[in-house]
Amino acid sequence: MTVLIDAEAGSSALLMGNEAIARGALEAGVKVAASYPGTPSSEILGNLAGVSKARNLYTEWSVNEKVATEVAAAASYAGLRALVAMKQVGVNVAADFLLHLSLSGTRGGLVLVSCEDPGAFSSTNEGESRPYAKMMEFPLLEIGDFQEAKDITRWAFELSEKIRNVVMIRSVTRLSHSSGNVVLGKLPETDAQARFKYQSTILDPMEGPIVNLPVVVDPFHRRQQEKLKKAAELFEDSPFNSYSGPDQPELLIITSSVCCLYSKEAIQSLNVEDRVGLLKLATTYPLPPRLLTKYLKKANRILIVEEIQPFLEDNIEAFAARTASDIGIKTFYGKNDGTFPVANELNPDMVIEAVSGILDVHIAERPEAYTRRAEEIAAMGAPSRELTFCPGCPHRASFWCIQNVLKLDNRDGFVCGDIGCYGMAAGPTGFMALKTLHAMGSATGLASGFGKLGRFGMDQPVFAVCGDSTFFHAVMPALINAIHNRADITLVILDNSGTAMTGFQAHPGLNVNAAGGKSTAIDIPGVCRAMGAAVGVCDPFDIEATRQTLLDMIEKNGVKVVVLKQICALSPEKKAKKQYEMAVDESLCLGEACGCNRLCTRIFKCPGLIWDTDTKKARVDRVICAGCGVCTSICPAGAIRREEAA
Amino acid sequence: MTGQPKLPKDPYNLIITGVGGQGNVLASRMVGDMLARMGLFVTIGETFGASQRGGSVMSHLRVSTQSSLSPQIPKGRAHMVVALEPTEAIRVLNTYGNPEVKVLCNTRPIHSIGVICGEQNYPSLEAMKDWIDELTAQSWFLDTTAAAIKLGNPILGNTVCVGALAATGELPLNRDVFRAVVSEKMSAEKVALNLSAYDMGGSLVRN
Amino acid sequence: MNVYGPDALLKNVHEKGLCVGCGACVDLCPYFKNHKGKTAMLFPCDLPRGRCHAHCPKTEVDFDALSLKMWGTPYAGSPLGGYGRAVAAKAGKKMPRGLFQAGGVVSAIMAFSLSTGRVDAAVLTGRKGLGPTAGLATRPDDVFAFATSKYTAAPTIAALNRGIREGFSRMGVVGTPCQITAVSQLRSNPLESADFTDSVCLTVGLFCNWALDTRKLIALLSDRVDVKKILKTDIPPPPADIFQIETEDGRIDIPLQDIRSMIPGGCRICPDMTSEWADISVGNLEGEPGWNTVLIRTEKGEEIVSDAAEKEWLFTREMPRENLVHLNRASAKKKKTAVMEAAARGLLNTQSKDAHAALRMDTDTAEEIIGKEEG
Repeated sequence: MTVLIDAEAGSSALLMGNEAIARGALEAGVKVAASYPGTPSSEILGNLAGVSKARNLYTEWSVNEKVATEVAAAASYAGLRALVAMKQVGVNVAADFLLHLSLSGTRGGLVLVSCEDPGAFSSTNEGESRPYAKMMEFPLLEIGDFQEAKDITRWAFELSEKIRNVVMIRSVTRLSHSSGNVVLGKLPETDAQARFKYQSTILDPMEGPIVNLPVVVDPFHRRQQEKLKKAAELFEDSPFNSYSGPDQPELLIITSSVCCLYSKEAIQSLNVEDRVGLLKLATTYPLPPRLLTKYLKKANRILIVEEIQPFLEDNIEAFAARTASDIGIKTFYGKNDGTFPVANELNPDMVIEAVSGILDVHIAERPEAYTRRAEEIAAMGAPSRELTFCPGCPHRASFWCIQNVLKLDNRDGFVCGDIGCYGMAAGPTGFMALKTLHAMGSATGLASGFGKLGRFGMDQPVFAVCGDSTFFHAVMPALINAIHNRADITLVILDNSGTAMTGFQAHPGLNVNAAGGKSTAIDIPGVCRAMGAAVGVCDPFDIEATRQTLLDMIEKNGVKVVVLKQICALSPEKKAKKQYEMAVDESLCLGEACGCNRLCTRIFKCPGLIWDTDTKKARVDRVICAGCGVCTSICPAGAIRREEAA
Repeated sequence: MTGQPKLPKDPYNLIITGVGGQGNVLASRMVGDMLARMGLFVTIGETFGASQRGGSVMSHLRVSTQSSLSPQIPKGRAHMVVALEPTEAIRVLNTYGNPEVKVLCNTRPIHSIGVICGEQNYPSLEAMKDWIDELTAQSWFLDTTAAAIKLGNPILGNTVCVGALAATGELPLNRDVFRAVVSEKMSAEKVALNLSAYDMGGSLVRN
Repeated sequence: MNVYGPDALLKNVHEKGLCVGCGACVDLCPYFKNHKGKTAMLFPCDLPRGRCHAHCPKTEVDFDALSLKMWGTPYAGSPLGGYGRAVAAKAGKKMPRGLFQAGGVVSAIMAFSLSTGRVDAAVLTGRKGLGPTAGLATRPDDVFAFATSKYTAAPTIAALNRGIREGFSRMGVVGTPCQITAVSQLRSNPLESADFTDSVCLTVGLFCNWALDTRKLIALLSDRVDVKKILKTDIPPPPADIFQIETEDGRIDIPLQDIRSMIPGGCRICPDMTSEWADISVGNLEGEPGWNTVLIRTEKGEEIVSDAAEKEWLFTREMPRENLVHLNRASAKKKKTAVMEAAARGLLNTQSKDAHAALRMDTDTAEEIIGKEEG
């Protein structure tokens, strides 16, 4: 963290993509940064928050991405440079405001960083956010490596101020979470003054009120187009677009984002530097027409390499169609023609294969016999690892109780799922409890709908779950909807005191803020009671009490909220501190016998419990066990002992 | 860059692999920082997030005297694999191995949930050693977790591995650079502890 | 006896609508539990053979095995099962005044057994609102809390399973015919455990024609009745044709036709009206509301009834012949209907590999039961 601001200007540091983005923002003199945690974007605000005192910044984990964008926009309107960061789906949440923001424009430089997740390493989708730039008409920059992560971010603030509009930077997991050498620039002074000027007329972008009304949509929209044209002009000479290769390449690769590195590696691997040209684009919307024309003229075959959707490809192909009489007819390869798959992420091998196929050139691969043998061995020697709740995770206990109750109730009840670690409850680690899983807050929205279908004969009990952070993000309006419309549902709020999946960031339920200072905590059960729900609060580690509370709740009509409060096993407060020392009494363990059949290792499946195939008994793995003590409650033979840890 | 050390291959492709929670990321950062300090181009490719919850994790380190490279190593091109868990070594070799690859492997198993609940079989250490030997040009098998436990904390296993990696001589890593890197990030106490772990890793390899 | 595992139980009992919620599989392990009268499996269990299946009275019940164990002879299909003598009885002077069903004989027998130490815990059925509860009484006074009949299928045997785990070794069980059948199967150590001991020493069976599904009954009645105020329930003998609920606020009569749809499918294949596998079987005495019919079957049963009568816990007299004839007839009718129903559904002596039998008995015996004239 300290390398972010302590290293000297001109020195080289090994920085993670997100760290480089944060450094770039600092070098640009950013003063306000807001974000909602979302992998792979969370480290951007995490890093800025860490230096907020030293660099005189205001940093905030906002309640959701729309509010985060609004918070950053406010800073921009008051004349400060501001940054808002989010994962790809966050842009969807911010979209309504983003549309209006882009229409009326900005003052202080405002940069929106969207970190996408091709291949969905930590997402429930691999959605794209680049089309928002085109749809809502603001410029888009894509970082191609770690140095650019810093430099482009720094320049983006300048660009934003030149055209007076928001600028979007797009990153992907393989850049945001990877690290590379970055030469650092200078950090500016930290003073800043904020003032929101609004006395002038509505048409004055810098000193008038910032109001979108029907009457100004026409002039504002036209003004917006002018801004795009200006950006395109600036893009023509941008140092972030570059070409390397022969003057008349047989194949021109046009690429953006991390695919620049993949393409570079592919060309080197195949030794075709003299045959293939590489046009690396950072300014991917609006595309600079003269630059594009120049390079499209150089080759007849063009391979476009980009992550996720053929956004760049479609735009380039449309441009080529429009300018065909000037540049000639081209053959395009990419996603549209099946050269690259439309789903999942790319990698250097795919680019090697694509170029290989187009130019009919090949590289030596490893021996076929090796590949076959390695596959055989892997089938025996590398059992797959399914994702699981951590040892000591309160969600395991919560879903144990929820599944118990739904089965006891025996009316095919189900749980609508939401986003967070507990989303894994759709799988075996959560006893397959979740039967729907979509976006932030969707569980309660769907449940609100399901809970009104009783009139059509649906008598299945309806549960929704959400985390404490998710509650503030999007669940509250859906909960109000359910209460007002008298849906019959039970919402279980899994309060583990943090935004856990993304790295345990703060949220409005806690009394600390992003910078580690004191803040106001909002009482979740209090809010639900004020809304009018019947509310219960339990510790999910108390299996009996939780189960009974849930059983009692589902007897009632209307909206019930049960808050299961127990801190995340990975929280800094709790980390590595065991409440109990656990051990299995082998003389009592029933193992595979009728009466148990390995309930703890076969069903409960906490990683801290191991089935010993030699002794045919369960055993506690002391290294992995977190000492939460829950397994004591579930063992039917009372064989799992717990003692208060020293 | 002047004064750069030499690499046995350029780019040199190192994979550090293990199970989420073992300190894989920290290990790759340590090695990456050490190499960057020596003036080399380093790219570390990582994916973390959901994979930390008991899933397999991999860091790809590309080391070069020339330029930055893709954060993903092309298939079959690993030069060295450092595995904090033995089945992860096998998993990585399947995709990135080749007859010339070398492997440094911690022998302590971490059972997957499938194994714990009896749906899968965990292979024996003997079998894994034989298989890894088959697929590599050279391999070292060390119980780095046991070494770490002796020092007081199993998580130091990743530092033991870094020391072991340095001792193989494959990469230009040395104790001084290690000390410089950890001193920047840790308290004096932790530095001493990590140095002991580093040294222990070295001695495990030399024996 | 054919013993399979919980998957077979799900397939052959639950999915066929035969579960009567008797509790035999409940609390043996963490997998089967009963809630508001319905038994559910909480998590999957893949054991090929389990006590849950072995004890269940609705799958693979081997009538010959039961009969051989009790009488040493194969199952003959007689209407009332084997018994020593039949008497009419009611609670004697020693029994405190209380709210009983009919003659209060069951409460008297259990209270007497507990007070004399013949039994260390009694497995009884209680009621909470309209829902049945399974409980253990260890003192004679506790018995009264469980008095009066419950017409909803109750998970009583769950309390027996709990009692065995808690270490009681001489338990008395009061149960319906299906529950007594389950207990009998349990006591035969069907999984052949080396360390098995018989923790039951007395079974008192109730007469039963059918029971009602708890949840359906609650759904029907919860807006007609304040369930907290229910004192007792009764089904008076024909031609009354009503289900009576006595509450603190008065009596409510529900026509039987309104509740027949609540009879669990498993009751319809039950051939046992008088709990043929119990030591003592107790039911109403038709025409005499304050009395019970008692069939004393085993030596154990005889010993207890005689002693209780002598010590004035029970008062017995000769059973009127007419009643015995009626009882025979009614019982034969239930047996015939049930065996025919089982046969029609392919649940009698099933040979298929994919489906199991609910009842297994000698085919000649089955034919005889079916062929019997109702007379």
